[in-house]
Amino acid sequence: MAGISIQNVYKNYGALNVLKEFSLEISDGEFVVLVGPSGCGKSTMLKILAGLEPASGGKILIGDKDVTDLAPGDRDIAMVFQNYALYPHLTVGQNIGFGLKMRGMPKAEIDKRVHAVARILAVEHLLDRRPKALSGGQRQRVALGRAIVREPRAFLMDEPLSNLDAKLRVHTRAEISALHKRIGVTTVYVTHDQIEAMTMADRVVIMRDGVIQQIADPDTLFARPANLFVAGFIGSPGMNFMSARIEGGRLTLFGQNFATQKGARDGEVIVGIRPEHLSLGQGDVTFAVRPTLVESLGSEKYIYFDPGENAYGEAARDEERGKGLIARIAHSGPVREGDELTLSFDPSEIHLFDPKTEKAVD
Amino acid sequence: MQRTTLQTLSLYAGLAVVCGVLLFPIYWLFVTALSTLAEIRQLPPSFWPADPQWSTFAKVATERPILLWLWNSTLAALGSVALSMVVSVFAGYSLSRFSVKGGRSLGLFILTAKMLPATLLVIPLFGIFRSMGLIGSLWSLVLAHATLIIPFTTWMLKGYFDTIPRELEQAAMVDGCSPLGALFRVVLPVATPGLAATALYAFVLSWADYAYARTFLTNAQGSWTANLGITTMKGEYVTDWNEISAAAVFVSVPIILIYLFLERYLVGGLTAGAEK
Repeated sequence: MAGISIQNVYKNYGALNVLKEFSLEISDGEFVVLVGPSGCGKSTMLKILAGLEPASGGKILIGDKDVTDLAPGDRDIAMVFQNYALYPHLTVGQNIGFGLKMRGMPKAEIDKRVHAVARILAVEHLLDRRPKALSGGQRQRVALGRAIVREPRAFLMDEPLSNLDAKLRVHTRAEISALHKRIGVTTVYVTHDQIEAMTMADRVVIMRDGVIQQIADPDTLFARPANLFVAGFIGSPGMNFMSARIEGGRLTLFGQNFATQKGARDGEVIVGIRPEHLSLGQGDVTFAVRPTLVESLGSEKYIYFDPGENAYGEAARDEERGKGLIARIAHSGPVREGDELTLSFDPSEIHLFDPKTEKAVD
Repeated sequence: MQRTTLQTLSLYAGLAVVCGVLLFPIYWLFVTALSTLAEIRQLPPSFWPADPQWSTFAKVATERPILLWLWNSTLAALGSVALSMVVSVFAGYSLSRFSVKGGRSLGLFILTAKMLPATLLVIPLFGIFRSMGLIGSLWSLVLAHATLIIPFTTWMLKGYFDTIPRELEQAAMVDGCSPLGALFRVVLPVATPGLAATALYAFVLSWADYAYARTFLTNAQGSWTANLGITTMKGEYVTDWNEISAAAVFVSVPIILIYLFLERYLVGGLTAGAEK
């Protein structure tokens, strides 16, 4: 086991700069998730870390060893691929033991380790099968087994759950977390799914267009997003954004004027409020809306409504937010579209962002 | 959707007709080999000889050097296949995996050799082989066939390598293989169906050659290939078509055997289970 130090790593494809000055210190045994939309550079960073792509510049240390120019096999890392990448011509046992064989380990020791790992992952009865005879979940376990059998210094995982169905994904997510707690190997996990990131990570690195947006633990990311992108990316449904104005330290929103506890200066701001921070009925700041759409999820309802004069232009262009603002209401009675509804929120729950820099206003 | 009996019967009838059309020349070759010369010439022709002349095969095998010619054909074909496969595996893999400036144009340029008629290359190849002292040697055929085979097999293999997920090699490299090790330990075993199909294609192309053998081996009877040898069985005044047909059956047998042997490798789907 070892910590990982990524220092000013960048990657260019010709004139295209896909990864910009990426720096990250990962502690020994830490579970770090790189998350972001497609094309944000997270998989590129993972491949550079694995040695499968050369970095255009920068330095990578695993433990105290500079691995920047080492071949993947010399970095003492293991990787789980999005599509598992099991060797189809080998049995499950041979797949798991392949890395050990490449390192010249005696056959008896390989067999012992393969069986031990197979027992942990409950695939011992599948050792003689070929990958094509396995279900998706079983293939996933074998891919994990191939990684852990080598007892590497770090695990790299590239969206390992994205090919599983929703139920199995939740189950395997918990299994990977439990496995990490059990063996405690430093793990760098890439996903585009913010729920995976939030539920599994010790720390989350949010990326966009090759640039780190914020590095923080899940609770901090949710409670104190560094900018508009992070605020919108974390949380489901995403944060509501509105345009508003601060005058004399007071904010006017939904026709209500109230003091903001944030240290924002007077002028235009983008206001963010999470759907779950809007409540049904009277509260600190109360306003009335007419729902344009009500989605019932059984235990809760998503109530969409028009932001009126507080509409934020960028939000309207977003496919999800284009439907209007969302209130996530639990345990409500029947709510009908078009009927007037009273909502409220606590002013301390709102987030303010600078319209020019899109950075959070503290 | 469930097929009705009539649809099934129609399907099988259609397949029987297609198979009949495809197999008739082979059947006719066999019947001719077993017929007497009089039966061959009779009108209307007989679809099965009254007294099958099995001795024709023994006669051809003993009185003609058909076995030597077959051996020469085998050597030339195996040499061509080996040379072509070695070159095209690396070339096809490179075209599939490495993007270098002008790589695609270079790949297409390789195909230009395939666009020229084989006979057009005979004269320059003859000049080259003569200067190398290869005229009359089976090596001339090996090299000449390789020039025809490699462009096509390179692209066949490139197409096959394209279907193999890159993650397999990446996983092998993370597991400790060098890039070349990943090719030999993972990619090539997975590509067995593609390699088998390509090797078969190369073998058949070399086996079926007549023009190059006729040009490069004319004065060296001991190195004649079967196709070249059979043409010398046609006499100036009399032609024993039954013997020629028997020799042609001998020439067909190795190809049929190779097809039967490689058939299990030709069935695709080995990569099933590698992903998702």
